[in-house]
Amino acid sequence: MSMMAVAEQTETEPVVEKKSPGKALWLLAPGVIWMSLFLVLPMLMMVYVSFWTQTTFTIEPTLTLKSWVTFFTSDTYLGALWTTVRIWLIVLVATVLVGYPAALFVGLFVKNKALQTVLLVLCVIPFWTSFLIRVLAWRPMLGKEGAINMILMNFGITDAPIEVLLFSELSVIIGMTQIYCVFMVGPIAFMLGRIDTSIIEAAQDLGAGFWRIFRTIILPLSMPGVVVGAIFVSVMVLGEFATSAALSGRKVNLLGNIIVTQVGSLKWAFAAVAGVVLTILMGAVVAALLRVVDLRKEL
Amino acid sequence: MSTVLQLKNITKTYGDMRALSGIDLALPGDAYISLLGPSGSGKTTLLRVIAGFEHPDGGAILFDGKRIDTVAPHQRGIGFVFQNFALFPHLSVAQNIAFGLENRDVDPVTDRRVVDARVRDIISLVGLSGLEGRAVTQISGGQRQRVALARTLVTEPRMVLLDEPLGALDANLRARMRAELRAIRERCGVTFLHVTGSEAEALAMGDTVLVLESGRIAQSADSDTVYNRPASPAVARFLNCYNLFPGRIEGGTFVGGVGRFALGSGAPTRAASPAYAIRYDRVAVRPREAATAEDEIRIEANFVASEYSGAAVNSFFALDDGRVFEVESHLSHAAPETYAEQGRYALVWKREDALVYA
Repeated sequence: MSMMAVAEQTETEPVVEKKSPGKALWLLAPGVIWMSLFLVLPMLMMVYVSFWTQTTFTIEPTLTLKSWVTFFTSDTYLGALWTTVRIWLIVLVATVLVGYPAALFVGLFVKNKALQTVLLVLCVIPFWTSFLIRVLAWRPMLGKEGAINMILMNFGITDAPIEVLLFSELSVIIGMTQIYCVFMVGPIAFMLGRIDTSIIEAAQDLGAGFWRIFRTIILPLSMPGVVVGAIFVSVMVLGEFATSAALSGRKVNLLGNIIVTQVGSLKWAFAAVAGVVLTILMGAVVAALLRVVDLRKEL
Repeated sequence: MSTVLQLKNITKTYGDMRALSGIDLALPGDAYISLLGPSGSGKTTLLRVIAGFEHPDGGAILFDGKRIDTVAPHQRGIGFVFQNFALFPHLSVAQNIAFGLENRDVDPVTDRRVVDARVRDIISLVGLSGLEGRAVTQISGGQRQRVALARTLVTEPRMVLLDEPLGALDANLRARMRAELRAIRERCGVTFLHVTGSEAEALAMGDTVLVLESGRIAQSADSDTVYNRPASPAVARFLNCYNLFPGRIEGGTFVGGVGRFALGSGAPTRAASPAYAIRYDRVAVRPREAATAEDEIRIEANFVASEYSGAAVNSFFALDDGRVFEVESHLSHAAPETYAEQGRYALVWKREDALVYA
């Protein structure tokens, strides 16, 4: 009897229609439209324009490789490319060296979650002022008669002002490291904060000292944070022009600065070539960083 | 049996709260010791103090006769198995197990072949063969438990502390791991100190059972003694198998909230406050009019509900002073009786079966 009843029940059960997954795709529509119009299309346009013919004051849509050849045979442009890569690498290393210990302190040694948040917010305080003010504020700091030189001379540590502090590659690196460090600290502190304390205690209990634990447990577990931070810093530093313009006294020309001057003098084709080169460089850097750690496993 | 660990008057406070208030303890080598305590009794704190993750405020810890209070945790040579296992998530099963051998400060093993051989041995000891290369996120809870244990045992500690090691496992697995933990310990010959909040687990596993109550060792004895002769009303309450009555002793009787109980021949156990305890399974339920023998105590109560647990039925009665009284009837003794709801019954037990504290 009961078997019959079960059979009957299943028969009378209404057929549930399978939801088509296509409907959920509508959620993507705004993003896809926006990005196509304002990101993908302009990028394709940039690649296209880089092959246009540039004369002194006009640009014509006749396809040519001339701008590309000029870019890769000119010392100015290749020099800018090399400077961009060099400054990016130095700033990247500097932000890790300054940021990692700070993140280690905040993420691992501060047990109080509220205090952790306060310390991370402190890192963001420089962002309460505008980017340009932050960059320009370095001038009275680093200048020949700036605060640092005055202090050094008043204490008798130096006799003459240190001129290399401002309007040099060093000042650009100091400025960029300060501005972008927080983008390194945040992701690393976040990853470190996620490490269960008992894991570190377990390593201790198994006999490992602090440096061993750091090398074998803490560092590998925080690597996704370092990679995410490095991606943030890389993308921002590679596209920089304002810091180098304000702090180098035009001595440091990054690809960003080249693009700005070319656009300023209506050399759209050259600007487009530099733009394409910069985009490829960023893509390569991000792809390389993503190979270091499998982020899919961590997020 | 030699003493492997000795605690002398260990105290530890957090702010105003006394977590440990003067623990004196001597643990023998090569034994399974369970440490039973309700949550908040200080059992995890005690374990963390022994391992060195917390510093005691006072007292001394002697391990193998040497004081270790000031020794860093990584130099104590005491193993710790965490409740959540605390496996290294980025390392494989074999790498997790090899961690201590390769990375310890004192006498690390640098020969790859020695490490591999010892890891292989311990993996077969705990029954993880075939899983060496797996990520620890890809194995089951029971297997993780074994990795945690193997990781500690491979370093050959003289003593292993286990913080509620079976707490994260499901009931079925827990029962199996109990037997296995005991077997593994016997093969290794080290002392296990197993912290648990489950009285059944503590009684089943420990050669010696320590009962911790408000930061003090309330009793230290074998399972049988703890179960049948709890040292204090608090221990009896925590064992979850005694009906307890507060009250006082007057002449030869105990005066409690629901009447006077004549005392048996034994002397009352000394305790901070007087109490009368009768085990759930020592009580018989009879109709009100049934006769009572000379050596029996009888009270009346109203039946509330009963709970079937397979081998036994636990019946709950409301006493006249509002307390709940529990009776456990084993179904191997008699067929389960059905009681009328709110019906009044006589609850009867032998005078000699009661435990009296004064």
